[in-house]
Amino acid sequence: MSWHLTPAQAHEYAAHRADEITAMSVEAHLMHCAPCRSLVPTDEQWLADSWAELRDVVDRPRTGPVEALLARTGLAESTAKLLAATPRLYRAWLAATVAVLAAALLAAHTLPKGSLVFVFVAPVVPLLGVALAYGRGVDPAHTLTSVTPLAGQRLLFLRTCAVLVPALTLCTAVALLLPGTTAPWTAALWLLPALTLVAGSLVLGRWMHLSAAAGVMGSLWAAALFTLFLVEHSAPVVLLAPPSQVWWGTALALLLGTLLLRVRTA
Amino acid sequence: MSAPAAAPPVHVRGLVRHYGTRTALKGVDLSLGRGVTGLLGRNGAGKTTLLRCLATDLEASAGEVRLFGLDPERAAGRTEIRRRLGYLPQNPDFYPHFTVFGLLDYMAVLKELGSRRDRHDEVRRVLVRTDLYDRRHSRVRRLSGGMRQRLALAAALLGGPELLLLDEPTVGLDPEQRIRFRSLVSELAVHSTVVLSTHQIEDVAALCGRILCLDRGRVIFDGTPGDLVERARGRVWEGAGDPGDGCTSWRLADGRHRVLTPHGTDSPGGGFTAVEPSLEDAYLLYTGMDRGRG
Repeated sequence: MSWHLTPAQAHEYAAHRADEITAMSVEAHLMHCAPCRSLVPTDEQWLADSWAELRDVVDRPRTGPVEALLARTGLAESTAKLLAATPRLYRAWLAATVAVLAAALLAAHTLPKGSLVFVFVAPVVPLLGVALAYGRGVDPAHTLTSVTPLAGQRLLFLRTCAVLVPALTLCTAVALLLPGTTAPWTAALWLLPALTLVAGSLVLGRWMHLSAAAGVMGSLWAAALFTLFLVEHSAPVVLLAPPSQVWWGTALALLLGTLLLRVRTA
Repeated sequence: MSAPAAAPPVHVRGLVRHYGTRTALKGVDLSLGRGVTGLLGRNGAGKTTLLRCLATDLEASAGEVRLFGLDPERAAGRTEIRRRLGYLPQNPDFYPHFTVFGLLDYMAVLKELGSRRDRHDEVRRVLVRTDLYDRRHSRVRRLSGGMRQRLALAAALLGGPELLLLDEPTVGLDPEQRIRFRSLVSELAVHSTVVLSTHQIEDVAALCGRILCLDRGRVIFDGTPGDLVERARGRVWEGAGDPGDGCTSWRLADGRHRVLTPHGTDSPGGGFTAVEPSLEDAYLLYTGMDRGRG
């Protein structure tokens, strides 16, 4: 080591006023010379922040594809994390939904009156997803997560949205591919019953497990279809006819009002 | 939501909890301040139910629960309580595909711990405190039972809770980790209220300034470990003879017997001398386990 920094050189370097070649020489020297390093004034805050940032980059968990996708849509990083960390059963439900809807679409195109399969299945598809999205028994970490500030209604609504968005998107896509779909609104007749069943299960979830509540609503839907099937001069499809939509809309408004009231007065 | 300034962290009056037709808690009264309180009792005594009620995981069937002066049955109060609460449940489970750091980060989001940087700093802090920092990139499914237990403890410590509820926290920990756990809890208890439910009497003896014994849903003892031990004085014996029936005894390593006599100072027979009772002796005598009371 043939030379050492003078205080003036150290000052010039620290103030970013040294020319490029001198700066490179100084940096190479400082790597091996502790006395000269002590001459260079350090910005302690900058150093601490840099280390913290570096440590955070090393520790940061890798973002999964779902979380990354959600973040790209503009969701807050924490919300994307919550939505992506859904129970494994949720993903199984999503796969099952795709399979069931594909089968319904196939039936619609190959069987006489096959479109009815979709019409009767579509309203319960989101319901099943909601049943598997939250609660003890379907979420392995529920005992840990259920006593956090975000647990309860807030996490439930968040996960319900996480279920509804893909479910409604998939059902709408399939509805548009059904034979005989002439107007988009006819492809959306299942929508209000689906939302009403989901809202009903959320209301019932106050008194029973969400999966049980979804079971009750699904059973009511099946019972209504079966009853109409048995009644003479009637057909289950009447449940989705335009006049029935008024009743579905009213029921949905009442259930949403109940939910809102509960959240405000709880 | 603000709590009354002088409200104790835990205040419970007449707490009753039913599971269908079974009553797990039958009118529990207690008030807890800072320090470690041990919950003792046989299986099914109501310890876990009591902790779950305090953790806002279960609602009371009857009675009054106030945590920091707040009512956990009202949504606003419950949320505020949960911000100040850490709970390590019995047999905790996790998302197995998460990494240790990722799971705690997720829990930190659920605990509303601010920005990403703040969350990660807090996750690092609890990882260091539970000796899991070196495993931060490991998948949860690859952790041993003891490490999972420490992970659950780390999750409970997120945010520096003022009330820490620990249900069987030392299950699966090796002796070294148990000592570290005791050190950690005793540090936390300086500024927090810690409730520790366990069957490990040594942990209670080492940590707790106060003991609550539960039996069939009722508090049957509330006092210091010294008080409990005092009640066993004159009822614990050691000797070489045959202790006979009617009392609990076990053979010691040196071939003699240690005997617990439920009825006062009755000696189990010749050759036995009264010895200093341990907390475990006292617990067994007090809860009637020595007589197999069902």
